[in-house]
Amino acid sequence: MNSLLEAGTAIYVAMAVALSVWIGIFVYLWRIDTQARALKRELQREREQWPRGEGDAPPRASVTRVSQAEGEPVERSSRE
Amino acid sequence: MAVTERLGQIGKLLIGVWIAGIAVAMFLVIPQYEGLGNAGRIIIMHVPTAWVSVLAFAVSALFSGLYLWKRRPAHDHYALAAAESGFLFTALATVTGMIFSQVVWGIYWNWDPRQTSIFVLLLIYAALFALRSAIDDPARRRQLSAVYSLFAFVTVPFLVFVAPRIADSTLHPNCAFIQGSKCDGITLEVGTIGLLGDRKVQLLALERQGDVVTAAVKVSEPGLTSETVLRPSFDLAAGEMVARPEFPGLRYQLGLEAVDLRANTALLNIEAPGTGLLENRRTLFTFLAAIGGFTALFFWLLTLRATLLDVQWALAQREGSRL
Repeated sequence: MNSLLEAGTAIYVAMAVALSVWIGIFVYLWRIDTQARALKRELQREREQWPRGEGDAPPRASVTRVSQAEGEPVERSSRE
Repeated sequence: MAVTERLGQIGKLLIGVWIAGIAVAMFLVIPQYEGLGNAGRIIIMHVPTAWVSVLAFAVSALFSGLYLWKRRPAHDHYALAAAESGFLFTALATVTGMIFSQVVWGIYWNWDPRQTSIFVLLLIYAALFALRSAIDDPARRRQLSAVYSLFAFVTVPFLVFVAPRIADSTLHPNCAFIQGSKCDGITLEVGTIGLLGDRKVQLLALERQGDVVTAAVKVSEPGLTSETVLRPSFDLAAGEMVARPEFPGLRYQLGLEAVDLRANTALLNIEAPGTGLLENRRTLFTFLAAIGGFTALFFWLLTLRATLLDVQWALAQREGSRL
């Protein structure tokens, strides 16, 4: 462990840590970016398939928030 | 896949490789800074992130104005995404600055004017996020936060560029990174007292030996806890500084930048470690590359976060719930 912190090697260790952190952040951003674009495409396709104001609307789910007798909040979903 | 999307993917890959290259250059390509050693390399991260945060807050203000004009949710999403990115980059600049502070001043946080102003800036934008989360009605939330964001941006140039520079008592090397600029220093007559950073200095005497003039300067620690006499010198023939002693316990040096023997005055200045570091070509190019890389990263973060907010809004509309 101490050999990693010696004057000659410490700078390489610091660089490796900085690079690892950046690679981790980059991979994370890349994955979120891919998923976000896929979701956006999906929504776009849905919008084109069922334009607003026309008869065959896509299934809609509505969420109703109610309280139970004990006061614990619950959510019930229903399909229209 | 559309051509623009493919180009976007290539651009993002380039950002990844570019910033990885900066990380390597930061450690292996640029030379050590005089007086700071390897710790000074953090400047390559610190200054560009601070500058990009200003850009991010400007973009946030721009989209806030656009929202107030056009009332399009997408503009609000971009304004929020830019403010969040700006906050992130400001936090990065603060943390890297704290590490720099520990190396140079021996303490992570000492409420230096620069540290205080960036802390206030963080609080101002944290309040924007608190404001957004406190309002349920989307239209009202967007409207109020757009107005707030515009007012918040008015403070940014003052807090980042003006306040730290008008403060006399700062050790932050304001003049270190802009080529051609220099710290003003202080001109003292023999026997008079002045402030350099947070150190009280008194010019005790000027002694000439040949072409070299040596100044005896009494330096007092903040709170007058201790005093010491430093002897910086100046070569009249060459017109340059000779001896630049370090302030006690600091990596900063005391420089004698000019002498007027007839008026019995001397121009004293703090020579911050890193002053003139961009004169080195490798450091300058790495620094410029870091600015470019972090700016590109900001625009990626901006579009990514705005896309996520768009999707969130579209889903909420589809589900018929309010967001």
